Amino acid sequence: MDDLTGTETTRTPGLRDWLVARIAEHLRMSPADVAADVPLSTYGLDSVYALTVAADIEDRLGVTVDPTVLWDNPTVDALCRAVDEAVAGAAAR
Amino acid sequence: MTTAHVTAAAPAPASLPARLDALAAVLGDADDPANPLGDRAVLDADERGEMLTAGEEALHAFGLNAEFVPAYLGGRLTRLDHLVDVMRAVYRRDPCLGLGYGASSFIAGVNVWTAGDDTQRRAAAALLGAGGRIAVAYHELAHGNDMTRTEFTALPAGGRLLLDGRKEVITNVRRADALVLFARTSTAPGSRSHSQLYAEKTDLAADRTAYLPRYRTTGMRGVQLGGVRFDACPLPAGSVLGAPGRGLETALRSFQITRTTLVSMSAGIVDSALETTLRHVRARRLYGRTAADLPHVRSVVTGVFSDLLAADCFATVGTRALHLLPAETAIHAQAVKFFVSQALLDAMNRLSGVLGAAFYLREGPAARFQKLLRDIQPVGFGHAARAACQVSLLPQLPLLARRAWREGHAAPSALFAPGEELPPLDFGALALSAAGRESLGTSLAAGLAAMPDGQGPAYRLLRRYGEHFVRELTRLGEDCAALDPAELSVTASPYAYDLTSRYVGVLVAASCFETWRRARHSGTPFLSDPHWAAAALYRLSTPRGAPPRTLPAPLEDALWERLSERHRTGGGYLLLPRSPHHHPVGTPGRQQ
Ligand SMILES: Cc1cc2nc3c(=O)[nH]c(=O)nc-3n(C[C@H](O)[C@H](O)[C@H](O)COP(=O)(O)OP(=O)(O)OC[C@H]3O[C@@H](n4cnc5c(N)ncnc54)[C@H](O)[C@@H]3O)c2cc1C
Repeated sequence: MDDLTGTETTRTPGLRDWLVARIAEHLRMSPADVAADVPLSTYGLDSVYALTVAADIEDRLGVTVDPTVLWDNPTVDALCRAVDEAVAGAAAR
Repeated sequence: MTTAHVTAAAPAPASLPARLDALAAVLGDADDPANPLGDRAVLDADERGEMLTAGEEALHAFGLNAEFVPAYLGGRLTRLDHLVDVMRAVYRRDPCLGLGYGASSFIAGVNVWTAGDDTQRRAAAALLGAGGRIAVAYHELAHGNDMTRTEFTALPAGGRLLLDGRKEVITNVRRADALVLFARTSTAPGSRSHSQLYAEKTDLAADRTAYLPRYRTTGMRGVQLGGVRFDACPLPAGSVLGAPGRGLETALRSFQITRTTLVSMSAGIVDSALETTLRHVRARRLYGRTAADLPHVRSVVTGVFSDLLAADCFATVGTRALHLLPAETAIHAQAVKFFVSQALLDAMNRLSGVLGAAFYLREGPAARFQKLLRDIQPVGFGHAARAACQVSLLPQLPLLARRAWREGHAAPSALFAPGEELPPLDFGALALSAAGRESLGTSLAAGLAAMPDGQGPAYRLLRRYGEHFVRELTRLGEDCAALDPAELSVTASPYAYDLTSRYVGVLVAASCFETWRRARHSGTPFLSDPHWAAAALYRLSTPRGAPPRTLPAPLEDALWERLSERHRTGGGYLLLPRSPHHHPVGTPGRQQ
């Protein structure tokens, strides 16, 4: 279910789980081990890979986010918040 | 980049042919033993491990630094392909001058043009314009290519920055007049903790700055490699290039320009080496004929020429892309650096086989070769390891499969028109990530569908291998869509690395095919002939790991003839023949 691993809810159903699953898969980690408030680079997520997460978000949710979204929002919590805002912004338009 | 404020001031730079002529004139005849800039003098300086002083003075008189400065700041830089042409002339004569007088200041400059504010840009431009040097200090021995681990810090303290730590194996660090330093400006983990700094030496406290001993090297022996250590050295807070924390972004942008152009400049080294080899095999008599008459020798040399044309074609397309497709060059730059560097190294190694003992001798008519062979080596590891370029391409592969290869856009035909007009270069337009959108690879299918009619073996081979690479892209699409997400960074398996090589192969094939097709359309001499393009695709289709396939006789014969003609006319061995005035490698009329 949505938000089991996180500390906040998101407007987009399944967003948090999906993001965590993607990152965990890339890092060969269990999603349960990805803490929501720890910078993902701590787990070895590299900066060049991080730039492509924006495209994944775009293809999945149909919202445009900056390629550096993960650089500027380096934890799961921060990323969910940023993506949520982008979704809300797109809906408002 | 905002240019409005200064456009009126600077006069337009002289034309490229005029600049090449002026450079050829200051470099003089390579073969003249009395020329203080000739091969003899270059080799002597190398033996001493020194820069060729007369060469540096001549380049100063020519104003080489102006080539690195955008025209809106008073320099001559309007087109990167022109810069490459000028620098190739320097690399052909002496790669140490190319890197040690030129390219390192250029890399530094591009950081400033990309991220600096108006004051910083003007200061750097003025410094270069006056013949000064700017060293570019990214590297720390402890971290190599692993830039984000940079330990060197420039942390805020009382309204200033304090520099702490070491930079090592840096060209000209001691004798430069200014430094571009890559530093950690925040202790937080992640990708927003680094910045470039621009520091003129006069701003650095001498008692807080110590230079490390020189590093001695196998090749590029004259280049002054050193290191620097700072201990709480204060620097004005305004020394950061761009907003603090944007350093990784600046590096990823500016390196698109410098990786592409530096490797392309190095093609001048192979151009020189091929000239030396041809002179040798034409003069060397064995078994009652010249070595050039031995079918094996001819075949190796022709293969090298073909590979050099393919590599230059790709480098040229990559360079033009920086002007034409800045949203996509985050991909092209990695691919060019990865492919062209290895093609140049392979070419040198094959030529050394043909030269036999002559490639090993430090004297005699072919003495230049052993130096060129040593000097070219950093092309494969300097300014990014080839493997690091592959790793940067990896996360793009699934995206490409999902986006570009499905959408199937064709690149604009201007991309494939070497030497022709280009729109202005916009440093600010270079995208950090291509996000899986890249149109060169898919141009091949479109080009093949529009292939003009033709006949003969070269034409047939070109079509057949064109189709081969279109199928290859289809297969790659399937393989990349199925790629395990855990395979998209440094820990990837050799299989995943290999996918990047396969993709780059398609990019090179597309560049050659489309450059031929464009030339055929416009009737450009040499390039419109299908032989070179067919040969390029044929050699590229060699299974990875195997020695490159010997060209079929009709291709080899035709290319050998072109090669001999280039040798006769002094046109050089790169994609666009040089005008006969620009042959600082020597007077072609002299050989038999
Ligand atoms: C002549 C010369 C001039 C130079 N001038 C300068 C200068 O002016 N300024 C400056 O900053 N530096 C300069 N350097 C240093 C140069 O930048 C470094 O040598 C270069 O960055 C490579 O680092 P490294 O050799 O430590 O490689 P390492 O990073 O230690 O690489 C070791 C191995 O790991 C592999 N590897 C590295 N990264 C990756 C990756 N991401 N993925 C997969 N494999 C990887 C490499 O392929 C290699 O096989 C110069 C070097 C030379 C030789």
